[in-house]
Amino acid sequence: MKLKSLLFAGTAIVLGAQMASAQTEIKFINCGATDGVVPEAQNVDVAAWEAENPDYKVMQEYIPWGQCQEKAITLAAAGDPVGLAYLGSRTLPQLADAGLIVPVEMTDEEKASYQPSVLATVQFNGGIWGLPRAFSTKGIFYNKALFEEAGLDMPNGPQTFAEMVEASKAISENTDAKGFGMPAASFDNTMHAFLNFIYSNGAEVVNSDGEVVFNSPETVEVFQFYKDLVPYSQEGPVAYDRGKVEPLFSEGKVAMMVQSFGYRSRTGDVDYGITWIPAGPSGEHSTLLITDSLAVFKGSGVEEAAMSLAKFLNETDRQAKFDDIAGWTPVRDTDISRALVEKDPNWKFFLESISAGGPEPQVIDYNALQDVMNEAIQGVVLGEISPEEAAEDVAKELEDLME
Amino acid sequence: MKKKVDLFPYLLLVPALLLVITIVAWPLIETFRLSFTNTSMRPTWEYVGFENYVEIFEDDFNEIILRTFLWMTISVVLKIVLGTIGALLLSAALPGRGLFRVLVMPPWVVPIAIGVFMWSWMYNGQFGMISGIAQRIGLIDGPFEFLAYKTSSFLSTIVTDVWVGVPLVSLYLLAAMQSIPRELHEAAWTDGASRFYRLRRITLPLIAPSIFTMALLSAIWTFNSFDIIWILTEGGPRGATTTMIIDTYKTAISRFRFGEGSARAVMILLCLTAFSVVYMMLLMRTARKGESR
Repeated sequence: MKLKSLLFAGTAIVLGAQMASAQTEIKFINCGATDGVVPEAQNVDVAAWEAENPDYKVMQEYIPWGQCQEKAITLAAAGDPVGLAYLGSRTLPQLADAGLIVPVEMTDEEKASYQPSVLATVQFNGGIWGLPRAFSTKGIFYNKALFEEAGLDMPNGPQTFAEMVEASKAISENTDAKGFGMPAASFDNTMHAFLNFIYSNGAEVVNSDGEVVFNSPETVEVFQFYKDLVPYSQEGPVAYDRGKVEPLFSEGKVAMMVQSFGYRSRTGDVDYGITWIPAGPSGEHSTLLITDSLAVFKGSGVEEAAMSLAKFLNETDRQAKFDDIAGWTPVRDTDISRALVEKDPNWKFFLESISAGGPEPQVIDYNALQDVMNEAIQGVVLGEISPEEAAEDVAKELEDLME
Repeated sequence: MKKKVDLFPYLLLVPALLLVITIVAWPLIETFRLSFTNTSMRPTWEYVGFENYVEIFEDDFNEIILRTFLWMTISVVLKIVLGTIGALLLSAALPGRGLFRVLVMPPWVVPIAIGVFMWSWMYNGQFGMISGIAQRIGLIDGPFEFLAYKTSSFLSTIVTDVWVGVPLVSLYLLAAMQSIPRELHEAAWTDGASRFYRLRRITLPLIAPSIFTMALLSAIWTFNSFDIIWILTEGGPRGATTTMIIDTYKTAISRFRFGEGSARAVMILLCLTAFSVVYMMLLMRTARKGESR
């Protein structure tokens, strides 16, 4: 009897293994953390797609942001592309220009389903190169207790650059904390945080005609604003990216930081408020519009299946639930997204700023753009260059890059 | 009568030859070839002559070369000085000497990434140990971020590199010290030579060739050191810790400018070749001296 069971079990294992080996693998690289609600929700959706497509097995790999995009792109450039990758939309122009990814076909109805500006983040040279998977708009998180302790009368948080400097100064002088958690390390979110203020001061990086217009009085004002904030920010901002500023906020060591709505779950015991990105002297509340996308790589041999998986994950209802779970700004206008403000009034700061928001500049060599921008920010923070020089340096380098 | 050539020994060399061609010669030739092209992620490329070399010297490459040599020199000098002191202490006739010899190993044995992450937290101003202790003993009156400023970042990366490198130098020099005949020390001691005199006149001269060899090897390794700087600062702030190897990585891998990156890699190769030549010449001279004795 025992021998029979053993034989049955053995046969089942062999058959199972054979069936598994008959499946075609789709390699799927995801930038971000392996654990948490986001991968869990995605795993459920991927399993549902696999159930509908039994000939395919999706091999997911999660890689930290610092190395992820580089790995996906290097694999593709080396002729061994993954089937699908979830990466920053800023990489799409470079990948499309190099012919490493396939364009996404969309009907007009599908195009119209996205939030305004979202589709623009995945378009390049007239084509659509990715499916927007995660959309982020930003606001200011502020520590109410520290505002009160500093004797500030700003019940809705700082609304202008001047108020933000004033609040930072008061908090630094009257409490044990610093005012602003400033990210200025050599990392992408240093540039991203800065661009929020650029757009909130009516400045632009590249205009609608594709011309570099960064060297403007509005940009200089933003650099000056950063310079004014340095004495009231945490010691040594250049050593901090956004991830390192987060524990300072949750420990009550800084009173304000730029964040997306999803940050609410990581604020610790802080009694926080949320408000718009403060308006600069020459602008209105705005935000950086930034998306991460699903891109299908050329040459993997499973392009069609990978595109089917991407579209399945990005399907309106499924994506809306995914956005909700992750706490991301919804990529589409749906019943779920319309109910968000009712669910939490703070959503208005992240949703109503979309129409005034500005995109991440679309440059093929996005790493160079990031380096140039971060070096200018660091130069101002360290007091090595003036705001005027910073704006001029970036504009000049950007013009070279655009050429 | 014609002598028959035995091919068998040559046949045995083939696997090694294939290995060298595959993992050394071919990549090297390919790097040289790429350095004369504008290869990037685009499917098409063309030869551009010396354009990449001209371009890198139009950038701040001279500054990067100087910074690399400064970083390497300070680091190697510290490693050799501290390594020699460490070797002297480990060779001292102390109880529990064996235990100390084991305890000196962790910086070298622990995976570099883990060790360097530990240092990055120690350099943190808010939560780090160094800033905390400095505040407690009154050296500074508030948190200090070691990786936020140009000079402190530069020195911090050197300190971590020295921490990683000293154990190997110590153990290497300890082995050299142990090869000195005991009779020399005993004779000097009998003649009334002090401990310091014996160190100056017997130990150091006899381990000098080892110090020299170690210094040169350490220079080559330090010149190529990537992980320590990358994990701590990624070459920042504002390029203050960007050495040639970091610059090459940023150009070739982060920005996918393979042609330009290869030209930078060739420059590194030239510098390291110069080191190797000096090393070989000194090694041969030392060997000749040994033979003439």
